[in-house]
Amino acid sequence: MIDHVSFAYKKQHPIINNMSIELFSEDFTAIVGANGTGKTTLGKLMTGILKPEKGSVIIDGLDSSKISLGAIGKKAGYLFQNPERQIFAPNVYEELSFPLEVKGMKKEEIERKVNESLTIFQLTHLSKVFPFTLSQGEKQRLALAAILINEPKFLILDEPTTGLDIERKNTLSTILGRLKEKGIGIVMISHDGAFIGKHATRIIELAGGEVIGDNKKCLGSKSKTDHCA
Amino acid sequence: METIKNVLDPRVKLIIVLSLSTTAVFIKDVYYLGGILLISIMISILFNSPLLSLINKFKRMLWLIVSLIFIQSIFIADGTSIIALGDITFLTIQGIIKGLQLVLRMLIIIISASIMGTNTSREIVQGLVQWRIPYEIAFMVSIAIRFLPMLTDEIRDVVIAIQLRGIELEKIPLRKRIKIYSYVLMPIVANTMVKARKLSTAMEMRGFGVNENRTSYHTLQMRRIDYAVIVITILGLTTILGQYYLQGG
Repeated sequence: MIDHVSFAYKKQHPIINNMSIELFSEDFTAIVGANGTGKTTLGKLMTGILKPEKGSVIIDGLDSSKISLGAIGKKAGYLFQNPERQIFAPNVYEELSFPLEVKGMKKEEIERKVNESLTIFQLTHLSKVFPFTLSQGEKQRLALAAILINEPKFLILDEPTTGLDIERKNTLSTILGRLKEKGIGIVMISHDGAFIGKHATRIIELAGGEVIGDNKKCLGSKSKTDHCA
Repeated sequence: METIKNVLDPRVKLIIVLSLSTTAVFIKDVYYLGGILLISIMISILFNSPLLSLINKFKRMLWLIVSLIFIQSIFIADGTSIIALGDITFLTIQGIIKGLQLVLRMLIIIISASIMGTNTSREIVQGLVQWRIPYEIAFMVSIAIRFLPMLTDEIRDVVIAIQLRGIELEKIPLRKRIKIYSYVLMPIVANTMVKARKLSTAMEMRGFGVNENRTSYHTLQMRRIDYAVIVITILGLTTILGQYYLQGG
């Protein structure tokens, strides 16, 4: 929940201005708006990467300013605009396995989960490859797989369709559809009107760091948002 | 009204920075070093350099600075012992003084270098070129100045991304934590290589090095005040060093 949040990178230029939004895991929320309206900043506030100057961001009942990023990471996954920023292991397999190893999971369990993930994201044939030599679409899929292997309850995706061809977009579309069925809440920051039109159940429009539109498709969900498109 | 930071030629600032850093390296006396640090801070404030953001960064590095003093002092066994276990001396007054010297030197070099942050990298390159330093080398310096902040941003992003995988760094044992930090290095090195390759292609596309004699649209012109500041700086440098060595160094 974003509660009266304000944020500025430079004091004179507020990016987010006294914004309040409540997000629900049953929604597929799209955040839209022109460049520089604060979409990515809002996404980073939602995941605790940035801390609000005023107001509070409540994640699963806890104030983001009072919990560590690691603790937030167990609840919510964040896909960066540039997936290269979240790839760091020497090969694709290790990229998926190392957080599980750190958490002390058993080897057999890690192997099962990683192989399952590689299959879902069509990365099995690339498991030994150096991740930086992958194509943009493959990097995107790997970053998403790495987030989802943590089984987060909420997913925030910053421009996930950038650089994907139609086939890869369809794959992403299928994956997101499955996640939605599993009850994972999704927030997608995007300019991709067609993709949003296909998936979003709620569209929040930003301008000048404020919410100028909050429309919801009436699909019988329990969201408290009043407006229905 | 022209502020002092805009008045002076970047080459003059470079001479000031070099002088402060040189004295910091040659002088061993902690009191002298403290004085030079004070001078560096005053000059830095005068030039309106980004001192506040530097102080904020120092705050985060405070534990590192304190541990540096102790680590340095542990390896110096001479002098009056403060902490000892039987015959083994862990901490001596001499050791702490050596540690302080190291930290003061670091602070002087970092704070004085912040003065260069009041000029654009283009101005610094122009200054170096007009000092007859080969353009290729001057350009390399400007690239380093341009890319260093990006590098720190990238390191921060990677650490954030690692934590967002649900890894609570503060709760992880040191050995595992070191392994995790080793993951930071990989994307940084890979990204730097990719960037370097793209940059060299872009430079070649724009004809870098095609003409032997480069001309510049913006040139720097030394004024009387610049020469006056250079003379004052050199006089200050020789006075401090002279005084120090006359007192027996």
